[in-house]
Amino acid sequence: MREQDTAAVRADRLRHALVDCAAGRQTGIDAILDSEGGQLLGVARRLLGRHDLAEEALQDAMVQVWRKAAQFDAQTGSARGWVYAILRNRCLNILRDSKRLSVLSPTDLATLQEHRQQVVPTEGWEILAGQSRLRDCLHGLDGQSRHAILLAHVAGFSHAEISTRQDVPLGTIKSLIRRGLLALKECLS
Amino acid sequence: MTDDAQTINALADEYVLGLLSPSEDMLFDALLTHDPALARQIGSLRDRMLPLDLSATPAPLPSDFPARVRGSLPTQDQGSPVAPPNAANRPNAPKNWVPRLIAASLVGAVVGFSGAGLRQAPTPTVVAVLVDANGVPQAVIDDYGNDTANVRFVADIAVPPDRTLQVWTLPSPEMGATSLGTLDRAAATELHFSDLPDPGAQQLYEVTLEPLGGSPTGRPTGPIIGKGFAASQI
Repeated sequence: MREQDTAAVRADRLRHALVDCAAGRQTGIDAILDSEGGQLLGVARRLLGRHDLAEEALQDAMVQVWRKAAQFDAQTGSARGWVYAILRNRCLNILRDSKRLSVLSPTDLATLQEHRQQVVPTEGWEILAGQSRLRDCLHGLDGQSRHAILLAHVAGFSHAEISTRQDVPLGTIKSLIRRGLLALKECLS
Repeated sequence: MTDDAQTINALADEYVLGLLSPSEDMLFDALLTHDPALARQIGSLRDRMLPLDLSATPAPLPSDFPARVRGSLPTQDQGSPVAPPNAANRPNAPKNWVPRLIAASLVGAVVGFSGAGLRQAPTPTVVAVLVDANGVPQAVIDDYGNDTANVRFVADIAVPPDRTLQVWTLPSPEMGATSLGTLDRAAATELHFSDLPDPGAQQLYEVTLEPLGGSPTGRPTGPIIGKGFAASQI
């Protein structure tokens, strides 16, 4: 990522890159990777814990970006949010595809799960939200809702996995997350 | 706000967090292409949650990575332009029952109710979202085992008068494609069949367009309306 670029310049470049992709120009993909590639790979690495899986996810995600670029509508949100959502979705599909993960050895699988469990600390979670309005709003949530939301978004855990990890019934976890998100959105708006 | 609208709103939040099942996720993708307001709601929450992604430690891309990605890109299909996303806002917007059907399917899939809600519907053993060649959802199958399944359609499928829709599954390679029933129009239908093993995850389902009365060979012969793999629900 080029730190010196302002957010507006970078947003503009990404929008143009998606237009290029939609028109079949591969320079669009180069521009996205040049601007966001390292950060995108970092997100995949944090979710998947392994460099090979992270690269696979990013490669698949870029193919999806290429295929879907014509559907991107700048009226609905930022190009950046759209690209990261596609990557996250691809990572979650890998995490939830037991067939895909069955090629890993039991040791590798254990390492992967161990890694994911350490992604969201109970103490010092603030580092995950940077200096943002989001961080202030997450502060306002009760600890259990906040932790569940972070486990889902940052570590990619499902409702069932969060329920097991927190030792809280599935229905309770679902309502904790729903209530937390409602409060979060109210604070953010 | 109606209960269904509340459910869709809650699902929208869970969609952003990545908490929907794969079949719900696909239906939601389809719904978003028809519902600009919902797409904006999603985009807004997504952008506000973005700092969480930006806190990941960047990882350097291997130098050959861009070339690898370029090598895996398919040719852009310029022949089928995507409808403008704001089409539904236009005064002459086409019938909007397709998004309503998709939404109803989603709500049904989540709350597990059918009909007036006087009795709780049984949970299907598997659910399959059948998509066309472009990945657009066309139909949803709820297979309950015990030789009973429901098919619902979430797209506008025209059935010519001399054609029949036929629903198929592939219980095993040995059994081959097996008919679950025929329909003369794309309407939600309960299907009853006999002597099939209980369905499992990753089982293939499809709907084809066959000659009037159904396939003459007992196997799919016509164009595929949609196909998809089952996701286990139990």
